[in-house]
Amino acid sequence: MQPAGVKEVQARGVRRGALGLAVCAVLLVLAMLASLAIGPVTIAPARVMEVLLAALQGERAAGVREAIVVLDIRLPRTLLGLLVGMALALGGALMQGIFRNPLADPGLIGVSNGAAFAAVGWIVLGHHAVDALPAGLAALAGTAGLPFAAFIGALLATVALYLIATRDGRTSVATMLFAGIAIGALSGAGTGVMVFLASDQQLRDFTFWSFGSLGGSTFAKVWAAAPFVVLLLLAALPLARALDAIALGEAEAFHVGVNVQRTKRIAIAAVAAAVGAAVAMAGVIGFIGLVVPHLVRLALGPGHRVLLPASALLGGALLLGADVVARTLVSPAELPLGVVTAMMGAPFFLGLLLRRRAALGG
Amino acid sequence: MRSGRAFLVASLVLLLTDASFSLRAEEPKPALAQSEVLPAAETAHIVAIGGAVTEILYALGLGERIVAVDTSSTYPPQALGTKPNVGYMRALSPEGVLAVGPSIILAQEGSGPPDAVTVLKSASVPFETVPDARTPEQVVANIRHLAALAGVKARGEELAQAVERDFATLAAFRARIASPRSAAFILSASGAAPVAGGRNTSADALFALAGVTNALSTMSGYKPAVDEALMAAEPYALIVMDNRNHGLTNEALAAMPAFAGTTAAKAGRIHRVDGAYMLGFGPRTPQAARDLMAMVYPELNLPALPAHAWTAGSRAEPDSEPPAAPAAAPAGSGQPG
Amino acid sequence: MPHLLNSYRAENITLRAGGRLLLDGAGVTVAPGRVSVLIGPNGAGKSTLLKVLSGELRPSGGQVRLGEEAVSRLGPALLARRRAVLPQSVEVAFPFTVAEVVAIGRPAGRGGHEAVSRALGRVEMAERAGEAYQRLSGGEKQRVQLARTLVQLEAGAERGGGPGYLLLDEPTASLDLAQQMLVLRLMRTLAAEGVGVLAVLHDLNLAVLAADEIVALEAGRVVARGTPHEVMTDARIGALYKVPARIGWAPEALPFLLPHGLVGDGAKR
Repeated sequence: MQPAGVKEVQARGVRRGALGLAVCAVLLVLAMLASLAIGPVTIAPARVMEVLLAALQGERAAGVREAIVVLDIRLPRTLLGLLVGMALALGGALMQGIFRNPLADPGLIGVSNGAAFAAVGWIVLGHHAVDALPAGLAALAGTAGLPFAAFIGALLATVALYLIATRDGRTSVATMLFAGIAIGALSGAGTGVMVFLASDQQLRDFTFWSFGSLGGSTFAKVWAAAPFVVLLLLAALPLARALDAIALGEAEAFHVGVNVQRTKRIAIAAVAAAVGAAVAMAGVIGFIGLVVPHLVRLALGPGHRVLLPASALLGGALLLGADVVARTLVSPAELPLGVVTAMMGAPFFLGLLLRRRAALGG
Repeated sequence: MRSGRAFLVASLVLLLTDASFSLRAEEPKPALAQSEVLPAAETAHIVAIGGAVTEILYALGLGERIVAVDTSSTYPPQALGTKPNVGYMRALSPEGVLAVGPSIILAQEGSGPPDAVTVLKSASVPFETVPDARTPEQVVANIRHLAALAGVKARGEELAQAVERDFATLAAFRARIASPRSAAFILSASGAAPVAGGRNTSADALFALAGVTNALSTMSGYKPAVDEALMAAEPYALIVMDNRNHGLTNEALAAMPAFAGTTAAKAGRIHRVDGAYMLGFGPRTPQAARDLMAMVYPELNLPALPAHAWTAGSRAEPDSEPPAAPAAAPAGSGQPG
Repeated sequence: MPHLLNSYRAENITLRAGGRLLLDGAGVTVAPGRVSVLIGPNGAGKSTLLKVLSGELRPSGGQVRLGEEAVSRLGPALLARRRAVLPQSVEVAFPFTVAEVVAIGRPAGRGGHEAVSRALGRVEMAERAGEAYQRLSGGEKQRVQLARTLVQLEAGAERGGGPGYLLLDEPTASLDLAQQMLVLRLMRTLAAEGVGVLAVLHDLNLAVLAADEIVALEAGRVVARGTPHEVMTDARIGALYKVPARIGWAPEALPFLLPHGLVGDGAKR
């Protein structure tokens, strides 16, 4: 018996977690600064800070181009990227925990499929709805229609999956997984029909939307998405112990006192709303939800008390980094953000799989 | 989910091939030598594929002989209004095309998919393509070629010369521009990064005809543009393709991050244009280029080009934004040149 | 059969699933300070009864009570304060360390390194605290899970749950002889500390070693119940497992079972 062993192991874990969180937070701050300072319009970092500090004191030189670029274009874009990255990565960590599967991503609960179907539906058929609206509403629908439709589509898909997988108050994640594949195929077919009906322009709109972008970020979008992401953070962080227990199995989690059904309900609802909002604002952005929790687990261990906040921080950092690449690599054109995250994420992920295969002797 | 991914890949491929089309289209086309005239029986039932092809055929007075058109044949309105629709030009179904009983298929370059075209070509129905035009010469060559194929060479010559005269007038207008202004062509602005026209696009070609500099000539093709890059390009005017942009008002457009900081938006120089009219590169192109020129250089007080039967009802700016200045009066409204 | 108010009991349980009657009026009582053992052939409903007792499965009929309260009314958290469960085997989805897995037994889920190392010590896994759970052998995993239940019982006792109850589903299945003895000893020690223990055991000799009371299940019904001496008779065991059996008695007055050779229908090892 070496009682010190456990103490040491636990202390090491706590130290590693604290250090990891600090590193993630620093990375996030650096990514935010990079996102504010780097873009096709060259502005010296010192000048960026000047503009930001002046704005903080309520001063703002109207019409100055640097102020417009930093405050009206890059600042909302940075904030929206932060929210979207947090939602995707934290959503991925939660889904991996609930599904007990390190390959789960937020798309598993139908959010992306539902949102994509609704988005293409809006792009192709939305003008009929707009025509039927009174002028004031039509103007609103012109700017908010696409994100709103995508958000509703995401929620409806998740609600459908949840209802299919829930019986007698118990949600079977296995059923949810399979129903997700079916609903995915169904909305894929619906998306195909819309694509068939689409004109060239609509097709292009949808294709660029479906690869994701932070272009066109406004404070209005930031304020619209923020409550859902904050709600996700508030809902997710207290679930850490429950998710640790669920890693042993749902029955075992119940044995140690976890209300498993409630945990699943909260996690699914919070993820659907936040990831739905993220997809609505920025389109489908892959790999962040899959890779970030993986990275964190690799570096800091699987305990959700650290995994959840660290994923949120690192998710925001990685997405902002990817966006800096997206908007500078082929400037003045902009690479689709989902393409950048996939190009960064997919090789990393393959490497991970190969390493694991080697470890398993496969 | 899988089908979703597959679709995304497919669309990416489509975008890439799209870009390659536009690249190819830039190279000058040899004048079409094979002006063999087909027997009248072979041109009695024409399937017209592509907006410019349909426009030219109608302008040649061959509307009666067209048995079907494709989805992109939006002008004249009676084309899609009265003829069967064989689908979108890039997604043809051979059986659907053959079902309307064509004696000849006249298609624009880029019609496809290639397999469908192969099948159609092997179906013992003559299948003729004309290149995508980006220059006055090519537009006129296409007119002559199609007229020859349809056996109406004389009528073709008449039309070609009328269009050539319009292009010449346009060139004279261009000479009046003292200092060129730049504009950005916005294909769509659905809320994310606005998709704008760079080099090697039909929009760029039209800008050149109208004596307007493309503010985004540093990129190629129709691409999403970085908000701040568009802003920094400082276009004098914003030419927005009116694609039923879902009730997107000019105010909403002007508030988008990409446009909010531009003087174009502040001064209200946002113009919505009809895409088929502006980018079609058919017999109406001189009028379209003149209308664009009038939008960007209102102080030149450009007269309208002569109205023709084949320009009837054409309007640069669709109903939503009635023309503010008489200078921007739509072509074909009856004013003599 | 004791019918204490202060006990953990399932009464007259029926459970139907997929058109099959898994439990047909079965019941079992776990009393503080005593070890009860469920025996019976495969498919008799032993594990199912344990799951009903733990609250994991809702019975179609009958009731489960913990003291005076219906288990169905207790929330998971309150229930966890008063009973811990060791399932047959537990695979953990992510690369947790042994210490982390054991700490999941604590309501706060962290800290309590004294409790965790004490529990690991009791299952002789103390020096393995920093290893990855996923890399352990089946028997080692089983012992770590047992430590996790010990931590849970201790935490429950601290928070007013009393010594509590421990339900074990085939705790010796993947253990070698020494480890089997370790677990049986631990069951007896816990009972001596006031914990009520219920175990499903396949090995009748182990059952006899551990049990104060043996409950024999067959086809979802209780067919025998009593002290090992009462239940372990040639006739009863022979009828229960459909094999000719002979119960012998060792010098310490413990019964042991010798199947009548490996011949005959459905010989069991």
